[in-house]
Amino acid sequence: MLTETSTHRKTYYEELRDKGYTRRDFMKFCTLFAAYMGLQSTGAAQIADALKNTPRVPVIWLHFQECTCCSESFIRSSHPIVADIILDKLSLDYSETLMAAAGHQAEEVRAKTMKDHYGEYILCVEGSVPMGGDGEYCCIGGKSALNILEETAAGAKAIIAWGSCACNGCVQAAKPNPTQATPIHKIVKGKPIVKVPGCPPIGEVMAGTIVHIITFGTLPELDGTGRPKAFYSKRIHDSCYRRPYYDAGLFVETFDDENARRGYCLYKVGCKGPSTYNSCGIMKWNNGVSFPIQSGHGCFGCSEEKFWDNGPIYQRLPNFPGFGIETSADKVGMVALGVTAAGIAAHAVATNLRKHKMVDHLIDEGKQSDRDLKLD
Amino acid sequence: MSQRIVIDPITRIEGHLRIEAEIKDGKVIEAYSAGTMVRLLEEILKGRDPRDAWAFVGRVCGVCTTVHSLASVRSVEDALDIVIPPNAEMVRNIMFAVQNIQDHVIHFYHLHALDWVDVVSALKADPKKTSEIAQSISHWPKSSPGYFSDLQKRLTKFVESGQLGIFANGYWGHPAYKLPAEVNLIGVAHYLEALEWQKEIVKVHTVFGGKNPHPNYLVGGMACSISLDDVSGINAERLAYVQQLLLQAKTFVEQVYIPDLLAIASYYKDWGAIGGGLGNYLAYGDLPMNGYRDPLSYKFPGGAILNKDVSKVLPVDMRNDSEIQEFISRSWYEYAGGDDAGLHPWKGETKIKYTGPKPPYDFLNIEEKYSFLKTPRWKGHAMEVGPLARILVGYASGREDFKEVVDSALKTLDVPIDALFSTLGRTAARGLEAKLMTGWALEFYDQLIANIKNGDTRMANMEKFKPETWPAKAMGVGHTEAPRGALGHWIVIEDKKIANYQLVVPSTWNASPRDKDGNPSAYESALKGTPVADEKMPLEILRTIHSFDPCLACAVH
Amino acid sequence: MEATTVQSKPQVLRRVFVWQLPVRYYHWVNALCILVLTATGFIIGDPPALLSGKEAYANFWFGTTRFIHFVAAYIFLFNFLFRIYWGFVGNHFASWKNFIPTNKKFFQDMWRVIQVDIFMTKKEEEGAIGHNRLAGFIYFLTFIAFAIQCLTGFGLYAAMSDWWLPGLFTWVPTLFGGDFMLRQIHHWAMWFFILFTVVHVYLVFYHDYVEGRGELSSMAGGWKFIEEKYFNKKK
Ligand code: HEM
Ligand code: HEM
Ligand code: NFV
Ligand code: SF4
Ligand code: SF4
Ligand code: F3S
Ligand SMILES: [Mg+2]
Repeated sequence: MLTETSTHRKTYYEELRDKGYTRRDFMKFCTLFAAYMGLQSTGAAQIADALKNTPRVPVIWLHFQECTCCSESFIRSSHPIVADIILDKLSLDYSETLMAAAGHQAEEVRAKTMKDHYGEYILCVEGSVPMGGDGEYCCIGGKSALNILEETAAGAKAIIAWGSCACNGCVQAAKPNPTQATPIHKIVKGKPIVKVPGCPPIGEVMAGTIVHIITFGTLPELDGTGRPKAFYSKRIHDSCYRRPYYDAGLFVETFDDENARRGYCLYKVGCKGPSTYNSCGIMKWNNGVSFPIQSGHGCFGCSEEKFWDNGPIYQRLPNFPGFGIETSADKVGMVALGVTAAGIAAHAVATNLRKHKMVDHLIDEGKQSDRDLKLD
Repeated sequence: MSQRIVIDPITRIEGHLRIEAEIKDGKVIEAYSAGTMVRLLEEILKGRDPRDAWAFVGRVCGVCTTVHSLASVRSVEDALDIVIPPNAEMVRNIMFAVQNIQDHVIHFYHLHALDWVDVVSALKADPKKTSEIAQSISHWPKSSPGYFSDLQKRLTKFVESGQLGIFANGYWGHPAYKLPAEVNLIGVAHYLEALEWQKEIVKVHTVFGGKNPHPNYLVGGMACSISLDDVSGINAERLAYVQQLLLQAKTFVEQVYIPDLLAIASYYKDWGAIGGGLGNYLAYGDLPMNGYRDPLSYKFPGGAILNKDVSKVLPVDMRNDSEIQEFISRSWYEYAGGDDAGLHPWKGETKIKYTGPKPPYDFLNIEEKYSFLKTPRWKGHAMEVGPLARILVGYASGREDFKEVVDSALKTLDVPIDALFSTLGRTAARGLEAKLMTGWALEFYDQLIANIKNGDTRMANMEKFKPETWPAKAMGVGHTEAPRGALGHWIVIEDKKIANYQLVVPSTWNASPRDKDGNPSAYESALKGTPVADEKMPLEILRTIHSFDPCLACAVH
Repeated sequence: MEATTVQSKPQVLRRVFVWQLPVRYYHWVNALCILVLTATGFIIGDPPALLSGKEAYANFWFGTTRFIHFVAAYIFLFNFLFRIYWGFVGNHFASWKNFIPTNKKFFQDMWRVIQVDIFMTKKEEEGAIGHNRLAGFIYFLTFIAFAIQCLTGFGLYAAMSDWWLPGLFTWVPTLFGGDFMLRQIHHWAMWFFILFTVVHVYLVFYHDYVEGRGELSSMAGGWKFIEEKYFNKKK
């Protein structure tokens, strides 16, 4: 059996040289990469520096309550492609989906990385942690997800929360959240956490996030909620190619109608693009082929907090809380308006009955003055 | 004296699977399969809009992404009596084929191959000889000595770096690895090529469903309108893109997957007699050519086979409440009518009641309840579902296309039909149906083009999309053939909301715990008798388990 | 002919200046903004179906609707801020003390107004000169609704603008758990304004009708008329 030797760890640069790339190739790569990350030309030198001096960063990738679509999305990345990421850029030491080892051999690998690279490894988490019960709703190797997360987070340099599961609990946290599925940032405190929400996130967004961390040795700049600004600072709506139809007030009324065939805006069939922050409209999916709206379906906000409970997918407005299906705020409002109008009418009638003396008094007084004027 | 070993986590699968096995005299004598993660989506769905269900259940699994969404929209369409336009049927068929083919290739190379291919041994291969072997089995162009030698260098550097990443701590050097170094090197090369290829084929989903994983579906059809005169819709460019991807898939399956499968299988023929298990097979069938309501037009016929008897295919009725039932006698749930009851999914219940050990634990209490999976049965029988079941049902139904691929594979490997009832048979069946589907996908494509040419550009039937058109109460069932086997979703709609929703999933059939009579399901049955040369490195158990392509997020949901 | 129908002596009314010009100015700007914001907001929330074969460049009505909404929103905000300021420097009737309950008496007075004007179980002798206590309190609630609408509205608008002012509101979406919830609250709040306006306009007519003090015109000219005897009593 082959085990790891802890010899000198190779840097990217050394590895590229070993693979037969020249220094020129290397600099070219750095320049392209700098452009991709939106850096100035001096950024290339910075990247070159980083790549020359960094050995492959160990990564532990944990799975809890999830559907593995985030891993699947990750392997769909086209730049960089995943074979290059896992062979050349980082050392994916633990990933239940891909690793060769199983059972206690797998757990040994995790323990070894945690010990040998304490404070250095990146922890990636896919899935939420069930806080219900005594931890029995998600166990691996007989240990609870909570136990494993806390143990593995302790020595992590930084944590990446992949996908909506790890960032906001996703579908299993939808009401009534029977297992008390909980996102990572509510459990792990005192560690830098990068949230990469989406169900799943775009493959290149995932790759771009991890490549940023290993290349620059720093976390990407995050927004107020912990998401990389590079990918989550714009609304789908502001980058949507159907936006001109929105402004023109030209909407799809039902799927596959004439307007749908003309590519009009999907707002009225429930598109949540106006309240969703993600890069689908710009980067698109699967190396730029399309994204939900381009393929005729509205965005349903899969990168937003609690999106499963943000109302039905095909309604612009959600059902008003407590009023059942197809009862939007507008229906409730109309009813309230009707009730108010009826109340006003009743009040007006009551006023004329109960206060007629007062009113009569005013009228009489007025009439009296009229008479006193003796205009005739 | 027997010895109990635990493999947890079972890796290179989807989800959290634990196997406990009793080993005696180098063989498994009893095995227990447990799913140890639960999300309770069936509870979460209650009270929601039936039109949204596909998105929720789609998230049951991102590996077999789309299959749950497909079963879901079909269950709602069944309940509400909606017939979708032929174009939508073809688009769904194409997406189905793409999903299954991609999933099978990933399974073969990334989840299963390392059970048969020794990565470390590939370092010793002779690139020239490797190239000769590769060229003798396939026309695939990437097979020059230089190609293999570059790869070998890259691999050597990788290993020498001391950071083995995903390859660390594998069972390398285990005596059960039998491939020559050169075939191992081909395996590694194609591991990497398949990793690149899989992200291409899924672009078909992106065209029609906007993304992958988790493309979008729609009750009543599909949301992607056909619009030949608009840049936004499905037009000639989009269609050409799809066609090209389907052709690429065909080439890859024919020139890489199938040759590798047969080459590797020829070194492991002994596995044609190991891991057979139940001998009962179930398929619902799918891929309609004349609408979902006409099962006779399905490319995959449905039916059941009992006791390996391929002379008879028995009819299956998903609506009959005495045929398909789920039991929880050995699962961490409770039923209102008692834990030994069997419930048809329309009346199914998902009430959790955990009685296992408190984590951390070393062993499960296998005498009692020991898994989050329910135990499905068909007329009381434990059934195996999956590619092998589909291939056998197609074969037993006398379908020529099935006969052709099966017979030719058996001939190439020089093994009898009985070899199919095994670990190797399961792995082979997956490749054979992938081959069938690459051909069918192009037929679906041609049919789609023909429809459009004939002036039918409808993609969705929206007549009954609005809840005010629905009856007060409706029940439906939707089925498909997921990569891992027969999948059914049962829905009950009341007051325009979901009153009950139950999924009976392929991996639930296969990976479930025993039933009330103590009879094992497919995994546990197949493991019985599997040899284990070294209990510390139970490679053989992984082989048989992986041959089912487990998905535990699916199985428990 | 002798006057026989009226028993008591005819009332002598005293003119009291209640609403300063800035308050009146504020009131009508505010009323207009709310009408415009509600109408445009309603359309933004549920645009009508217009079937047309037009390309997008030929049309911009929805964008225009939103533009009007945003213009009215700015005016609404500044007008509102001005009113808050005036609550500290304006006259007795404009003071914030009319709106925010600070003591028990405030609530007792409110209860009396409810008995008099809503249930009509009691007869009012004096009547209020400025806001009656109940009205004052309702306006306090409306001011809160204004604040909510400005917060949620500018919270949403922040993502569409480069200007620093909407930029001050970028923290709002996070507070409400994302833009989605924000839009919902913003939409629900619209109904408060619709209901308020209907009731408010009715009550203005009601007071004028039963009290005869020129309530309706007071928001134009600024003065009301009050009976001499109450005037003397209040003095
Ligand atoms: C009385 C005051 C207001 C009312 C009744 C009102 C009403 C509405 C309504 C009903 C919507 C549609 C919401 C939906 O269904 O998604 C809306 C949208 C909006 N309102 Fe207001 N609004 C008011 C004040 C404001 C203010 C002060 C702002 C501040 C900028 C504002 C900014 C917005 C924005 C940004 C939108 C979203 C427009 C879009 O995304 O296209 N609103 N408003
Ligand atoms: C014909 C239409 C209207 C008339 C005659 C009218 C009249 C009045 C009067 C007399 C007052 C003072 C009453 C009191 O405090 O007891 C008042 C206050 C107020 N009205 Fe109106 N109003 C009208 C429409 C509106 C509309 C459409 C709105 C907005 C929705 C509105 C909002 C307010 C507010 C907020 C106050 C309190 C102002 C303050 O003291 O700062 N009014 N209105
Ligand atoms: N079992 C299962 Fe699935 C499949 N194939 C679903 O139905 O894997 Ni995720
Ligand atoms: S975020 Fe969505 S795609 Fe990712 S694991 Fe969770 S359910 Fe699956
Ligand atoms: S389709 Fe959606 S995201 Fe695009 S413009 Fe319309 S509402 Fe906005
Ligand atoms: S649903 Fe998700 S994939 Fe993008 S377009 Fe919307 S964020
Ligand atoms: Mg189920």
